[in-house]
Amino acid sequence: MADLPGYLRACLNTGKLASLAILVSGGIVLQILACALYNNWWPMLSVLTYVLLPMPLLFFAGSDDSIFSESDNSWVNFTKFLTGASTVGGIAIPSILKHAGVIGWGAFAMELSSYFVFGMAIICYLWMSGDDDYSIL
Amino acid sequence: MDLLELWAIFGPGVAGAVFGAGWWIWLDAVVCSLVTVPFLHYLPGIFASFAALMFNCVRKEDIDYSPYDEGEWRLKLWLFIAYVVSFVSLAGSAGLLIQDSLDKSAPSVWTGVAGVLQCVFVLISGLVYWTSHPE
Repeated sequence: MADLPGYLRACLNTGKLASLAILVSGGIVLQILACALYNNWWPMLSVLTYVLLPMPLLFFAGSDDSIFSESDNSWVNFTKFLTGASTVGGIAIPSILKHAGVIGWGAFAMELSSYFVFGMAIICYLWMSGDDDYSIL
Repeated sequence: MDLLELWAIFGPGVAGAVFGAGWWIWLDAVVCSLVTVPFLHYLPGIFASFAALMFNCVRKEDIDYSPYDEGEWRLKLWLFIAYVVSFVSLAGSAGLLIQDSLDKSAPSVWTGVAGVLQCVFVLISGLVYWTSHPE
């Protein structure tokens, strides 16, 4: 996009941020709908997974890009291990609730949709944070 | 980058995901069981997790393959005990599966199957974590 003018590139970057905000809002709306439509608030257990997911990165890894690079540091590998273990909880909690008969198929589908929308938002955020082109000129 | 570098980057995350999947499968079996699962049925999963932790405490470069010198026998004894614990946990979970399928008052067959799956997934996660370390 080197041939685009600076203000158009800034506008496109603002559009990226807006789409990221729309994704996060969509995930939150799906999560609330999965609970409120059926008046059954057990799927709120999945919010624990969303809270737990960034905690290994916050506590153990630094502010570098070590999550996407090869490392022989034990703390970085442990961070990746805990992040992977937390990721499965987002799929496992709705599955266990459905298997136990606590929630139905509609809430289960909305839970999984919320999880994948949040996952897409996180991946877009990690992809966007590599860019630095916010200059107007 | 080639496949080995991708494995070194994403391998610990995959290992964590497989480990979490194993324990979540066991939690599903415990939650959906009609009878109370006794504590004896928890032991294969706990010992499999302990075995996976044991053989990932060893650094790969410390293993000596020299045919001349006296090797690190403590390290090899530790790895041997880790493998023994992992195989005993697998055998224990298979035995509990057979017991669950034969006895009517025991938990259902899904509890035994979930126990075997838990041990398999936990040990696979240990292997994935081990193989994803660069030399």
